[in-house]
Amino acid sequence: MENEEKVLNPAESLRIIRETIDVAKKGVQENGFHFLLWGWLVVIAGLSEYYLRQMHRGLEPSMVWMIMPVIGVPTAFIYEWRRDKKQQGQNIVREWYGMLWLAFGISLILAIALTVRAHVSPIPVILILAAFATFMSGILLRFKALVFGAIVLWAGAAICMVVPIGEHALVQAGATVLGYLVPGYMLNQKARSRHV
Amino acid sequence: MYKELDPMLLSQLRLAIMSYLMVVREAEFNALREETAASAGNLSAQISKLQEAGYIVVEKTYKNNYPLTLCKLTPRGIEAFEAFYVDLKTYFNQDQV
Repeated sequence: MENEEKVLNPAESLRIIRETIDVAKKGVQENGFHFLLWGWLVVIAGLSEYYLRQMHRGLEPSMVWMIMPVIGVPTAFIYEWRRDKKQQGQNIVREWYGMLWLAFGISLILAIALTVRAHVSPIPVILILAAFATFMSGILLRFKALVFGAIVLWAGAAICMVVPIGEHALVQAGATVLGYLVPGYMLNQKARSRHV
Repeated sequence: MYKELDPMLLSQLRLAIMSYLMVVREAEFNALREETAASAGNLSAQISKLQEAGYIVVEKTYKNNYPLTLCKLTPRGIEAFEAFYVDLKTYFNQDQV
């Protein structure tokens, strides 16, 4: 930027907007922490529920989902709090990303409450909501693996239509591994390679 | 039909400052200097022009006892940048922007 008052032509203007926005967006790189945290919790809870249902151990199988608020929420909260202290300044894309997952969380709580009350399996609805948020994350972060992950989650929801309700937890665990954990590990790998 | 572009944003450094602020909302003077690779004097002069145009506001505060200059976009600045981008698109085919 040596030229103090260099007057731009339209092509140069567009290039500067793109280059500057690309630089600014680098501050929004995600390391996939939340995909890995929530992905593993969903897989563990889903498989545990399936196992308990098959074994008829007398425990209420759906109680295993309590690991989500008991382990997931405090862990995510502490992680975000520590990250906020490290990061400087605001970033509109990061804000949108946060708002997207906040909206997902609110929708998820309502969807679970409504489906349980209506004695309907909440799993297909959870998969649809997770697919939506994962798809939008992929668009915001410009990371295609998340978009493909969302398609897997939507496919999981569609599969729930043709399998017995007792198998839904298994479908959810499988869809989460492919649609959530795999892109999460790829995102993590990408973040690590940036810091080498 | 080509639209006339806002001369305030036809300066390389001023456009870079505005583009950066469009993403980060607010930035410290040193962060802007780092991102735009501009000299302190030049950056300061262009920030003053954007401030005079009402596109940004400059707040001088302190952080850990050190003076801190914070630049923020104003609603007018956001509107001007968005209008500039819309006008700029008239110079290109849809698939180029």
